[in-house]
Amino acid sequence: MASDPKSRLDLYALSFRLPILVWQALFFVGPLAFMLAMSFFDVKNYRMVETFELKAWERMLTRGYVWDSYFLTLGRAALAALVASLVAFPAAWLLAFRASETQRRWAIFLLVIPFFTSYLVRTFSWLVILAESGVVNAGLGAFGLGPYTMLNTGFGTLVGYLTLVLPLVLILQTVTLAHIDPRLPAAARNLGCPPGRVIWEVVLPLAKTGLVVAALFAFILSFGDFVAPYYLGGSKPPTLPILIIDTTKSGQQWPRAAVVAVMMMLTLFAIAFASIAFAYRKRASK
Amino acid sequence: MSEPLVTLRDVVKRYDDFTAVKRMNLEIGAGEFVAIMGPSGCGKTTTLRMLAGLEAPTEGEVVIDGRVMNDVPVHERDTPLVWQSLALFPFLNARENVEFGLKMRAVAPGARRKKALEWLDRLGIAEFAERNVETLSGGQRQRVALARSLITEPRLLLLDEPLSALDAHLVIRMQGVLTRLQRELGITFVHVTHSQSEAFAMADRVVIMSRGEIAQVGAPRDIYRAPANRFVAEFVGRNNIIAGTVAPVGPGFGLLRVDTPLGPFDVVADDAPRPPGEAAVFVVGADRVEIGREPRPGAVPCTLISEEFIGSVVTLFLEAPDGTELKVQAQERALAALDAGSGGAFHLSWSPQEAHLLPPGA
Amino acid sequence: MSGAGKAAAGLWALRIWAALVFVFVFAPIFFSVIFSFNSARFPTIPLESFTLHWYQTIFADPDVWDAALNSVIVSSCTAVLATALGFCTAYTDYRYRFRGQGAYLALVLLPPTIPLIIMALAMLAWLSKIGASGQIWSIVAAHTVLTAPFAMAVIRLRLNQIDPSLEAAAWNLGASQWRAMRWVILPFARPAIVSALCLTAAVSFDEFAVAWFVSGLNKTVPVLILEIVTGNIDPQVNAIGTLVFGVSITLVALAQILLAARLSRSAA
Repeated sequence: MASDPKSRLDLYALSFRLPILVWQALFFVGPLAFMLAMSFFDVKNYRMVETFELKAWERMLTRGYVWDSYFLTLGRAALAALVASLVAFPAAWLLAFRASETQRRWAIFLLVIPFFTSYLVRTFSWLVILAESGVVNAGLGAFGLGPYTMLNTGFGTLVGYLTLVLPLVLILQTVTLAHIDPRLPAAARNLGCPPGRVIWEVVLPLAKTGLVVAALFAFILSFGDFVAPYYLGGSKPPTLPILIIDTTKSGQQWPRAAVVAVMMMLTLFAIAFASIAFAYRKRASK
Repeated sequence: MSEPLVTLRDVVKRYDDFTAVKRMNLEIGAGEFVAIMGPSGCGKTTTLRMLAGLEAPTEGEVVIDGRVMNDVPVHERDTPLVWQSLALFPFLNARENVEFGLKMRAVAPGARRKKALEWLDRLGIAEFAERNVETLSGGQRQRVALARSLITEPRLLLLDEPLSALDAHLVIRMQGVLTRLQRELGITFVHVTHSQSEAFAMADRVVIMSRGEIAQVGAPRDIYRAPANRFVAEFVGRNNIIAGTVAPVGPGFGLLRVDTPLGPFDVVADDAPRPPGEAAVFVVGADRVEIGREPRPGAVPCTLISEEFIGSVVTLFLEAPDGTELKVQAQERALAALDAGSGGAFHLSWSPQEAHLLPPGA
Repeated sequence: MSGAGKAAAGLWALRIWAALVFVFVFAPIFFSVIFSFNSARFPTIPLESFTLHWYQTIFADPDVWDAALNSVIVSSCTAVLATALGFCTAYTDYRYRFRGQGAYLALVLLPPTIPLIIMALAMLAWLSKIGASGQIWSIVAAHTVLTAPFAMAVIRLRLNQIDPSLEAAAWNLGASQWRAMRWVILPFARPAIVSALCLTAAVSFDEFAVAWFVSGLNKTVPVLILEIVTGNIDPQVNAIGTLVFGVSITLVALAQILLAARLSRSAA
């Protein structure tokens, strides 16, 4: 019996539906599940033994330096999300409310470019620009300032994180703000609300979801990035991604690296769920 | 009716918790032009899609040309559909669109090109053959869609409100094109529309549907003169629907007297048993009502509420003393003499022959 | 200061701020290009003399050529696979309604939200386990997972613009499902398919974390850069980086031009 084309499951439907399932099972779910299992493996004589033990977990969770790394990474990524949101907001405001449709489209076009260009090369460029004798210090030197040490500091890491996330945050904020009916802030101004309060009372509540999602993306990307803290932040003390690399690349302690990775995943899930719940929560009645 | 080309036998179409078509039976003769009409959601488009094979009936059989079609996939039927959106392929030019059906039947490029050009010529748009379809006007696109559907010379053509997006003057023109084509080719047309004027202007027979059921089937004139029930009377429009009860004493001579809030009226009796006191509803076409300034015996005094002017014909909306709304349709010239604009009282009447009794319980 | 004057000053402050944000975003790209033509080993301002030395160095380096070849193979294979998978998924989501559709989409769209370093570790461990690590194909498999969501998104947006009757119209005219796919859906989606190829190629071309972990000895260009940078400051990187930017930006621009062309065409 022929059934409706919208729900029919035949050879044709399966040949479009199944490939991605097979691929994701083999190269996405498989790897992540194996990594979770690996965190319970053991290493004997420099060889990994497939078993179920809590050794790697015990080892990692009882070491102070792991927790130092954990909170350092958490703090720096949160700072990057906050700074990126604050830096991007005035620019997003300008693009959303004070720019023409064409200007906005061009701005977004420009901001998409870095997203698809080598982050690694851009980071290397900062390495040169921010150096003791680099462009920035040369520029400041002309005014008799500096030189300042910017590399191998928290500041360097932050610059790297911003390089990674700022374009994305700015795009998301601009799109969010552009969707707000411009008459609403205007109406509030008209009712005698001062500009600062218009942002706080009208725009922020309307844009909350988009702004939180933008900050969340900034956090996720910074939290998992190893390039900025390694090359611009000096890698001492290491962040969690650097810990994973060191543990994996030097020796066979993959289960320990897996523990760190699972910790990161759990943290990200918790923060993502909390942010999204916050972003979509209705405003409590006052 | 000659040998039926299409038969719907006890056809039911159910979605999860909604029945779109309820046990439908219909025969359509070869060479007939049938319009299926009804308000949106009445099941007319679902019926058409079942004929095309785009929906499968939940129960019952769809028979075309003697063959049960329930299990025949869409592409193996030759039941082309002219879509409401036209669904022209935007990446093909007009000629390539028309060729599509032949290409799917593996006709050689030269032959199908020739055939496509013939059809474009027949529909008067040969000069646009190589044009991108998105640059064509509404009427031209319509003709491309028609040519594309007809090129395989099917016995049955399905039309799903193809004229709904056109300007009013183009609609009239395309109606002419469609009826002429249908006569010339002798193909069966099944045309779904929500427009009464479209259905009445073109179809040999009209099927009126309501809530998944057939409300009435008949020639346009019969439906207009004698609506089978209240739904049809209201849907066909411009009808005064007056309800009352059968009077204890009748006038005889094949007439029935109905007591209504507007007073007693005589109507032509039907065959149904009509015991006194039973409810009776009759319909008087707005164009059958006589309107005058002078009181007459049996005439209903009314005041004018509004008028709708659409050129040579005017519809007046009036109110009887008990609040019933009555409609009168007349030539603008005839109404000018009444000086309708000055207000005041009007008196409405109609002859018993113009009042059509609805069947009991309808 | 008057109210209007204050507002104008505020607007200018906003503009300057926004300009600074764009300077921050594009400064690294700009200086990388400038320094690639500058003779200084530790470049700063004022600039030293113009030179092509760094380009000559990299063009003479067989490692760079090997990496470039690997990168081209990886990104083009990834682009084809990811676009094919993305297309199948986008079409499934467009055409069908089925139970678990939300979970299905989540499974497809999730990979880009997982930190690359975690994907890298998981891939390395899994591919070693199934004996497929250290080959060029290992990178392709991993990159396909990472980039298929981009292809899916681009093609799904295009399918949103299709007249929902178009595919049924093809069946109605005698096309089987497969032939309707070949003659209607594919031609309609073609601009999006080409831009998906460009975008996935660009993302794959720049990805280094996963590639670094699973590539073994088959380095791609970004992995090579990573290793050079780890050693020392070497302006060769600016020259390679400039070329890499050139490739990426060309691919992204091509993708955007195709997107824009199709938008203006459907608007006409």
